[in-house]
Amino acid sequence: MRLFISNSKSPALTYAKLMCGISFAFLIALEGLSAYMLKHHSVTYRRVSQQLNRAVGARPAGPGEPASVVMIGNSLFLEGVQVDRLQELTSKRLRIYPIFLEATGYYDWLYGLRRIFRLGARPQVVVVQLEANSLLWNRVRTEYSPMLFFDTPDLLHVSSDLGLGHTAESSLLLAHWSAFSSTHSIIRTQILRHTIPHFTDLFTLLIQAQRPTTLGPDTEEVAEARLKTLRDLCEAHGAKMILLAPPVPSSENAVRKLISIAQGIGVSTLVPIDPNTLSARHYEPDVLHLNSEGAALFTYAIARISDQFL
Amino acid sequence: MLFDSLIYFVFLIPVVLAYWQLTYRRQNVFLLFASYFFYGWWDWRFLALMVGSTTMDFLIAQKISAAPDGRTRKHWLIFSLVLNFGILGLFKYFNFFVDSFADVLATFGVHYIPIPLIRILLPPGISFYTFQEVAYIVDVYKGRIEPARSFVDYALFISLFPHLIAGPIQRPSHLLPQVQKRREFDADRFFDGMLLIISGLVRKCVVADNCALLANAAFGGQLGPPNLWVVLIGTYAFAWQVYGDFSGYSDIARGSAQLLGFHFMVNFRQPYLSKRLQEFWRRWHISLSAWLRDYLYIPLGGSEHGKWKTCRNLLITMVLAGLWHGAAWTYVVFGAIQGVALLVEHTLFPPKDKLGGATSSESFFSVWAQRIVTFNIFCLTLLFFRSTSLGSALQMLRGLFDFTWRTEYAAAFATLCVFALPLLGVDLLMEANEQEYPFAKARYTVRTALAAAALIVLVLFTGNDSNAFIYFQF
Repeated sequence: MRLFISNSKSPALTYAKLMCGISFAFLIALEGLSAYMLKHHSVTYRRVSQQLNRAVGARPAGPGEPASVVMIGNSLFLEGVQVDRLQELTSKRLRIYPIFLEATGYYDWLYGLRRIFRLGARPQVVVVQLEANSLLWNRVRTEYSPMLFFDTPDLLHVSSDLGLGHTAESSLLLAHWSAFSSTHSIIRTQILRHTIPHFTDLFTLLIQAQRPTTLGPDTEEVAEARLKTLRDLCEAHGAKMILLAPPVPSSENAVRKLISIAQGIGVSTLVPIDPNTLSARHYEPDVLHLNSEGAALFTYAIARISDQFL
Repeated sequence: MLFDSLIYFVFLIPVVLAYWQLTYRRQNVFLLFASYFFYGWWDWRFLALMVGSTTMDFLIAQKISAAPDGRTRKHWLIFSLVLNFGILGLFKYFNFFVDSFADVLATFGVHYIPIPLIRILLPPGISFYTFQEVAYIVDVYKGRIEPARSFVDYALFISLFPHLIAGPIQRPSHLLPQVQKRREFDADRFFDGMLLIISGLVRKCVVADNCALLANAAFGGQLGPPNLWVVLIGTYAFAWQVYGDFSGYSDIARGSAQLLGFHFMVNFRQPYLSKRLQEFWRRWHISLSAWLRDYLYIPLGGSEHGKWKTCRNLLITMVLAGLWHGAAWTYVVFGAIQGVALLVEHTLFPPKDKLGGATSSESFFSVWAQRIVTFNIFCLTLLFFRSTSLGSALQMLRGLFDFTWRTEYAAAFATLCVFALPLLGVDLLMEANEQEYPFAKARYTVRTALAAAALIVLVLFTGNDSNAFIYFQF
């Protein structure tokens, strides 16, 4: 510092330096701790990173081998599909590589798929399990996705696709590089879940997005363009894309419209189950996610039509 | 560059370190470029607008000062006011007035009138720096200050990055002399600046962002159709969100300024402890309230010309204060209700000069009853402030008569208490000790330990939700 120091001997300067030191040490410690917690204690991180690693190994089937199928989707499928049971029911025809991450949408999966293809995945079929709302989302999940689905150059493209400002772009970069930055909201949610009674129920309401009941002409265009992009991406890597419709009673019309758009551009679609055949007892209280009983039905329905995957 | 983003600190720390290595003149030039970089980070296209507006007002002030007679001075003043408010009006209110005009025509059955509708983006901070420029021009005109002789000094006064985007709106007589003279490094104030930043981050990231989850869900319909409980959760959560958000922003702005050797005025003084609305507006967004008082209410005549004119002036001031927040009828209604409530209060309880807690004649219960009533009146007006339209605000009000209960509401109230009550506690502490931030007079070791504890709280309760500061949109 130059001549302007009027009270450089004040204890304040020492404490200011101490504060800087504490903050810096704190950041380093947090980063290390977050990385450790993520890798050793986060169920979601471990699950998705393992699923990604397995999916990267997907290869076209040889003669007599089951076809390789990568299935991607969000919580509707994580809750709604019993993957082990599905694999068991279809083991002769399919080898399934699921990748499910909650609260994800189109951009998470567009870049997630690009990444696994880049890493060498060559499945024969990619089953995309997104309902209308997730397909139309203009955002990405800021936890997990930046670390697991995006490579560094992707982040600039994601930012450009989403029209993010520099600040949001830098936050996304940070969430890619820093375990702490990517996970601190999860820490908060976990603390609140353990301290406030019924917070889990409240949290389900808080994060519940408003789902469109139908698609308008403008959103139809967006949906079509996005489905084409996903289809082209899969085809460029030798995979057939299939759009699998979930039973979502609140946006049944939107899902139906989405199916018709997909069929219009030559994307195969599957509707394993009619939502009208399910009742409230098959759903969680949010009437969106299937409970175990509903999931068993949905899984069986998928297995029943799984020969249409090929 | 949001104050609560890491990128802001990646910017701030090198700026502060480099700044204190420079001589005074170079410090100003360096800070000016840093401030323009900070502003350009949002959108470089608006930089030209701000530099152009700054240059015009700098030159106009010179003209006013050099004008040979009062008439010429007045002409330059009017020219500047028309220019500044014209730019603000074009960017902020053009679409609002055109849309409203089209709506009026539509009610008379006139449709498809070819009104020139241009969609204009709102330049960040335009309301704040325009008010600061107007204050400067008026003060020069009134002879309260001398016009700045150096363009760099004036441009830095307008664009100094800690206050550029959302204030506090600095008085020329307070900030300009600080820009014009050499700053000395003061370790005590530097340390205080760091603590203010931490305090601001906790207010914003812990209190405001978590209350925002509840407010957004209540107003967005995720908590169900409006009923008494949804309205209470929504308005109370939004009240603490907006307070934590803006007072947090102000603390970070003041703290950042102090790291650079500047002093900014206090912008919030425990507003939710006010016993009257008049008092509330002397504690809430003080820099804007003071600006409106000095450059609008008093020039209109203030309370000097009888009861009716006082009422008129108060109402005009509050409606314009509402409209300042944004180009929407919800803000106009917010201002109008505040104005009417102030008028009623003005009539029933003549203004008192002092801010304050209980006087010796008032009981504890009386003080708290008044505080609770004032807070709830403010919350009622916030319902309009937060709603996306008058229709949805009225729908929320109608919901007050529906008492349907859900178990999740208990968790929502508990969450609100977890985040709002500590801030209320801090406010009570600051009120009792008349301090600018909690424990300001405690020993350094105590403050350092508390700051470290605040950092832990910050880490544990910060979300990834990117909630821009509410006042950035104004």
